[in-house]
Amino acid sequence: MSEQAAFQPRIAAFLCNWCSYGAADLAGVSRLQYPPNIHVIRIPCTGRMSPKFILQAFRKGVDGVWVSG
Amino acid sequence: MFARRRFAVLKNLMEYAGIEPGRLQFSWISSAEAQKFQQTVVSVTEAVKALGPAKHMIKDIRKVA
Amino acid sequence: MEGDFTVKVVSHPRYVDMAKCIACGACSEKCPKKVPSEYNERLDKRKAIYVRYAQAVPLKYGIDKDNCIFFAKGKCKACEKHCPTGAVNYEDQEVRRDIKVGSIIASAGFKPFDPSIYLQYSYSKFANVVTALEFERILAASGPWMGHMVRPSDEKEPKKIAWLQCVGSREVNACDHPYCSAVCCMYAIKEAALAKEHAHDGLDAAIFYMDMRTFGKDFEKYYEKAKGKGVRFVRSRIHTITEVADKSLQIEYVTENGVAMTEEFDMVVLSHGLEIAKETVELAQRLGIDLMPSNFVKSGSFTPVASSRPGVYVCGALAGPKDIPLSVVEASAAACAAAGKLSGARGTLVSEPEIPKALDVKGDAPRVGVFVCSCGINIAGVVDVKAVVEYAKTLPNVAYVENNLFTCSQDTQDKMAQVIKDQGLNRIVVAACTPRTHEPLFQETLQSAGLNKYLFDMANIRNQDSWVHTGEPEQATEKAKDLVRMAVAKASLLQPLNEVQLSVMPAAMVIGGGISGMNAALELARQGFTTHLVERDAELGGNARLLRITAKGEEVAPYLKELTERVKSESNIVLHLSTAIKNVDGFVGNFKTTLAGPGGEEVVEHGAAVIAIGAAERRPTEYLYGEDSRVKTHLELDSGLMSGAIDPKKTNSVVFVQCVGSREPERPYCSKVCCTHSVESALHFKEHNPDCQVTVLYRDMRTFGERELLYKEARSKGVLFVRYGVDHKPRVAKAGDGLTVTVRDHILDRDLLIDADLVVLASAIVSHKDESLAQMFKVPLDEDGWFLEAHQKLRPVDFATDGVFMAGLAHYPKPIEEAVAQAQAAVSRAVTVLSRKEMWLPGTVAFIDQKKCVGCGVCWTVCPYQAIAADDKGLAVVNEALCKGCGTCVASCRSGAPNLRGFTTQDVMAQIEAML
Ligand SMILES: Cc1cc2nc3c(=O)[nH]c(=O)nc-3n(C[C@H](O)[C@H](O)[C@H](O)COP(=O)(O)OP(=O)(O)OC[C@H]3O[C@@H](n4cnc5c(N)ncnc54)[C@H](O)[C@@H]3O)c2cc1C
Ligand code: SF4
Ligand code: SF4
Repeated sequence: MSEQAAFQPRIAAFLCNWCSYGAADLAGVSRLQYPPNIHVIRIPCTGRMSPKFILQAFRKGVDGVWVSG
Repeated sequence: MFARRRFAVLKNLMEYAGIEPGRLQFSWISSAEAQKFQQTVVSVTEAVKALGPAKHMIKDIRKVA
Repeated sequence: MEGDFTVKVVSHPRYVDMAKCIACGACSEKCPKKVPSEYNERLDKRKAIYVRYAQAVPLKYGIDKDNCIFFAKGKCKACEKHCPTGAVNYEDQEVRRDIKVGSIIASAGFKPFDPSIYLQYSYSKFANVVTALEFERILAASGPWMGHMVRPSDEKEPKKIAWLQCVGSREVNACDHPYCSAVCCMYAIKEAALAKEHAHDGLDAAIFYMDMRTFGKDFEKYYEKAKGKGVRFVRSRIHTITEVADKSLQIEYVTENGVAMTEEFDMVVLSHGLEIAKETVELAQRLGIDLMPSNFVKSGSFTPVASSRPGVYVCGALAGPKDIPLSVVEASAAACAAAGKLSGARGTLVSEPEIPKALDVKGDAPRVGVFVCSCGINIAGVVDVKAVVEYAKTLPNVAYVENNLFTCSQDTQDKMAQVIKDQGLNRIVVAACTPRTHEPLFQETLQSAGLNKYLFDMANIRNQDSWVHTGEPEQATEKAKDLVRMAVAKASLLQPLNEVQLSVMPAAMVIGGGISGMNAALELARQGFTTHLVERDAELGGNARLLRITAKGEEVAPYLKELTERVKSESNIVLHLSTAIKNVDGFVGNFKTTLAGPGGEEVVEHGAAVIAIGAAERRPTEYLYGEDSRVKTHLELDSGLMSGAIDPKKTNSVVFVQCVGSREPERPYCSKVCCTHSVESALHFKEHNPDCQVTVLYRDMRTFGERELLYKEARSKGVLFVRYGVDHKPRVAKAGDGLTVTVRDHILDRDLLIDADLVVLASAIVSHKDESLAQMFKVPLDEDGWFLEAHQKLRPVDFATDGVFMAGLAHYPKPIEEAVAQAQAAVSRAVTVLSRKEMWLPGTVAFIDQKKCVGCGVCWTVCPYQAIAADDKGLAVVNEALCKGCGTCVASCRSGAPNLRGFTTQDVMAQIEAML
């Protein structure tokens, strides 16, 4: 296995409760499989997203941040 | 839309803080689009994987935020 | 009879106990029997035990007995064997019940026209000819090809698709459906535009049509946008399709200037119309309600949701072809009409649960209880639940952990309440399914145990873990631990929140005294609420005062007279004529509105408001209008006909010019009512003077729905319809004593001269663009000045601002029956506020730390709900009644003054911290 493939990134996913979080739930109901690297934080609306959260996540050592409305 | 405009600004801010643009991803998915959600997780994961572990030390956060 | 019906209801057995089914899908996975899926238009397969589609509510499985192997052969029982909760019950029986009700609402809807059963549509049997509904499923992510656009014969992506309009509509020879189905033009454009987006390397999308009927709000803009994206629109009705060698399809058509063409397409989509199913006709007969010849339920222009039988109401496509927004409006309208006579009984069958007073946990150290759910095998089958439990015990602040087979079951809930009390827990985390469906249930349990319901969080280890990482149990287990850790970190910080309690003033205000406003006021009064009807004119009636007749042929004047009298004699209505709105203070449940009338200023308190300020006919600037008195608008024509000033018998030639000022760059919308208005007026001339030459110059005839029958009748009575293009507008000129109208005939490609002694302009309907009213009620207008609803389809008469609703022309041009339906719908929605003595607003709202606020004003400009304002010190304050908890203010403030309860910066930071 190459180093690239072995690397499992940690990604903080900020999902809007009404949109993407719902899509994530439906993906579950539909048993759609995807890699386990994302860790979801539910936010009430993408308007809540503050740059502080993103910076904090990177500072804490995540490899990526995904914000989805 | 307000949020969309702000995300463009956010991206610039992150670059300034020394984070490669590919590490920060935005998308818009409606609650019915499970398929799109799955596809986006895959592509986001792949994009971040390709960049390798985040090693850049971020500049002084407080100054940026 | 009305007010007292007994309805006999048969519940067919579903062979699955709904109380036990947890929708894990184990049964369906193991079921050996495959059946063509109705949901995906038979393009793929489902099992004999199934749910119709993933979003079904309730999400419970059922056995299709006709296809089940056990019911046919007596053995199999695979589903029973694999069901983790023992929900399968082959002995399930049909249940018959008598239900006593006061009103009945029929909303059985339509069935899409099936072209394959008609000889004339034999081409629909070709593999690559699909119906529009099949095409919807092909494009859908949950469809047979997972959203990949392919054609059925070879599963290759099509490069060229044709849509054929009016299949099974506007057609009497093939199928006896003379009406227009009203929705297919719009959905065809949508499908074509979406298909273009789906295509990987370009798609040629062509729509073959007779008239493009994009008459709804924002539809015309959508149509123009599709043209801009390259969707081709070809005005021609297609009758024959032939299949060629590779199963592609050949279409023959004649262009507008008479050239015969042959074109090949990879795929053809039939824009099939709406019809009423045979079973529905039988249901209508059992209900004893009258149908139109077209089988749609008969209703009146002024009573759009009432059937012919008192107490039985109707809504949606069953009452005529229509789209989702209007169906939703009618649904609320029917609810209003059905409840009106029963308002005395409101709430009598409802029981309120008792909630103990919440314990005070402020200042207590967090004692978190974690409940890890196995969800049968749904979670436990993938995630090592025991390991998660052991791990949770090691987390800071955690005082108690247990594992449940089904945390949501009633007995576990009872037990949970007991555990909370016994263990003195003050924060609860449930690791299970999703808060979107289950949070309210668990919160109720917290409340019953005396805990504030906001001291709760969930870790989504099913929908977002075990179900999506089935093949990676170890990683799924690790992720479950992470999610629990994050939830515990957040829960430890949670604080009890107060829900704001508001008292509700049981009075309403209706602004605008046209047909919409009067209907709204009367309904509100009938349901027992004092209603202030505010009209700026000295007289009630609005535009309807000038209207002659509705599309259903009912005269407007007598109805208006009766309506006005009812309003004036209704004791619950306080009429404010010649009155303007000066100021609006307050919010849902508690508005304080200042009125300025003949008697001076007055402040009125009300709990809800309905905006029904209508619109106006535009004064044309073209076609000699204002220069020659024989050029008139629709409303002038109607008044003239009613007063006798215009006499059809003395008119030799009348020309109607359509789309005057509508569908133009400065007014890019269709005024919706004018095509029908011209047609019914044309018929009036023909009826009183068959020799009168009547000509209608049009761009598209938009006689949608059953109005199409009037168009057909007009043509058969000799009314001449001549189409003109936007770039070849007709010209009106004085010629001696008379007028001459010149129009370019497309087919002959030359000018046509028509002498006229009357020219009628179908002038646009324009909004009042009342920005001041909009601002006072904190509601938005769109670009054209129409009031903007909260959601076009789902909340068509609501505003995003609570307690304010809309009806009638103020929303968009529409005929009387739609205006009345909207008025009733607005009442229905308003009553959901007014019928409560008090209301509770969610505790998850923003608050401002005024010590940090510098009064810069960023938050009150960004707040989408205008919930923040400056206090007398110039510092921000949140109006909790208006705040929807989106958190935009928090993210935008540079001083960190605002925060969002339940999602504070600290809460989110704690989760981020706990993530790694
Ligand atoms: C040119 C034209 C042709 C039409 N043809 C047809 C047709 O053929 N068939 C059909 O079914 N329908 C037709 N309609 C539509 C029909 O008139 C309406 O659907 C119906 O009258 C309902 O109107 P409304 O009450 O919503 O608005 P309106 O009739 O406009 O009434 C609104 C009322 O609100 C008052 N108002 C306005 N602003 C304020 C304010 N700030 N404060 C207080 N009061 C205010 C106005 O004075 C008016 O009395 C036509 C409309 C027009 C304009
Ligand atoms: S004209 Fe009417 S029936 Fe024909 S496609 Fe358009 S909406 Fe459907
Ligand atoms: S005349 Fe009126 S209803 Fe007909 S298409 Fe033009 S704007 Fe629309």
